[in-house]
Amino acid sequence: MRRRLGTVTVVVLLAVWEISARLMHSVYFPPASTVAVTFAHEWFSPLFAEQAVPSLFRMFAGYLIAAVLGIAIGVLIGAYRPLFRTLDPLLQFVRAIPPTAIIPVGILLVGIGDAMKVFVIAFGAFWPILINAADGARGVPRERLDTARIFGIGRPATLVTVIFPSALPGIFAGLRIGLSLAFIMIVVSEMIGSTNGLGYYILQAQRTFAIPEMYGGIVLLAILGFALNAGFVLVERRVLAWHHGEAARAT
Amino acid sequence: MIETPVKPAPLLDVAGLQKRYTSSGTLAIEAITLTVERGEFVSIVGPSGCGKTTLLKTICGLLHPSAGRVTLDGQLVTAPPPQMVLVFQDYARSLFPWLTVARNVAFPLRKKKLSADAKRRAVDDALAAVGLGSFAERYPWQLSGGMQQRVAIARAVAFQPEILLLDEPFASVDALTRAELEDLTLRLRDKFGITMLLVTHDIDEAVYLSDRVFVLSRPPSVVVREIAIPLPLPRDQEATRSDARFLALRNEIHHLIGAR
Repeated sequence: MRRRLGTVTVVVLLAVWEISARLMHSVYFPPASTVAVTFAHEWFSPLFAEQAVPSLFRMFAGYLIAAVLGIAIGVLIGAYRPLFRTLDPLLQFVRAIPPTAIIPVGILLVGIGDAMKVFVIAFGAFWPILINAADGARGVPRERLDTARIFGIGRPATLVTVIFPSALPGIFAGLRIGLSLAFIMIVVSEMIGSTNGLGYYILQAQRTFAIPEMYGGIVLLAILGFALNAGFVLVERRVLAWHHGEAARAT
Repeated sequence: MIETPVKPAPLLDVAGLQKRYTSSGTLAIEAITLTVERGEFVSIVGPSGCGKTTLLKTICGLLHPSAGRVTLDGQLVTAPPPQMVLVFQDYARSLFPWLTVARNVAFPLRKKKLSADAKRRAVDDALAAVGLGSFAERYPWQLSGGMQQRVAIARAVAFQPEILLLDEPFASVDALTRAELEDLTLRLRDKFGITMLLVTHDIDEAVYLSDRVFVLSRPPSVVVREIAIPLPLPRDQEATRSDARFLALRNEIHHLIGAR
């Protein structure tokens, strides 16, 4: 029932789009059907490999770097209180920088190639992952750490076998925010300096008055974003099954 | 020289233990001296807030005493020794929710140099001993509170300690489960020969389980009195608790705690 209601909403909105666009006759506002035809024509073609694949590749590269560094450093900072106290003010300050503002720095340091995009994507996604991993590692119940000590588990082993799993719910919260930031950063960085990619394609379509193509690009972004999030939720459900189970029991 | 028969050294020797919190400067424990013999079941009772948890944490080396010392088996305790395990009141926080029951019990064995087979057997034995043999592949949070505490106890037993420290382990379960767990603890002592040191605010429980009871004062805590419990073994929930001596002992302790 809920699902059907959602479908109805989408169909109604598409119909409103279609009818109003046909009534308005504006070049800037093509009907949904035109966009759909253009979309099918454009994207079920080698264009996907030329424009969408580079975007996805950069995003995954940047996101992977952000995830690995963010989780590793975050858990370490969260686990060692002195480290946290030393670094927290600095972290809070740096994370306040809107990641888009780092793009000029990226261009200055590594040019406008793939490296710049990967860098700014990694920068954008890194902070939420780091902060959430640190919070997760800091919130480990005292008894869990004491249990590890009582059984003679050393500090490094405790970090891996107790603190890291305990921090996983926090880590996944960070990874989720990081994913949407990475997605934003890929589009923005490709709009600013690029010769391919979805951000480049959309901006280029707008500049050349290829309006249905521009909307088609946006629709493709929406589909990719939706798919990425769905994939993320799938992984999270598997990895955090214990956490959701525990939380469901507690209420 | 005349040879005097020497009593064997106690397993656990707590001498003049004092604990002042470094952060607040509050004196939680004034001076506590007690011994636990091998195979004994000893309880420490006291009014709530008398620093019982702090005492156990200091005894097992998680906290450093401000004065005095703890020796286990003749060795000075400065860090958690491998022959001693502490079972916490809050099982939900001390068990690892991402591990199955069997893996929780196997967790401390990673440090022991045992074959995979021997480890599996230790886990199976411990789970069977607490009556959770068929729950090995469940997760702790799928079990009731009493069962979760049994998992925590099985984990401690699988580690094969000489002495088990129990910090109000039955305080978060219902009365019926509590009686079950008490009897389970007594059985485990007999089966594995583990010495038990229990901390509780439940006087009846202390009398029911113990060979000796130490009564603590309000903080800063001292030992008010040491009381031997000469009730016959094995203990029985109905017979022991209705024994006239049981009632006399519990009243005596009640009076000691209430009067201060």
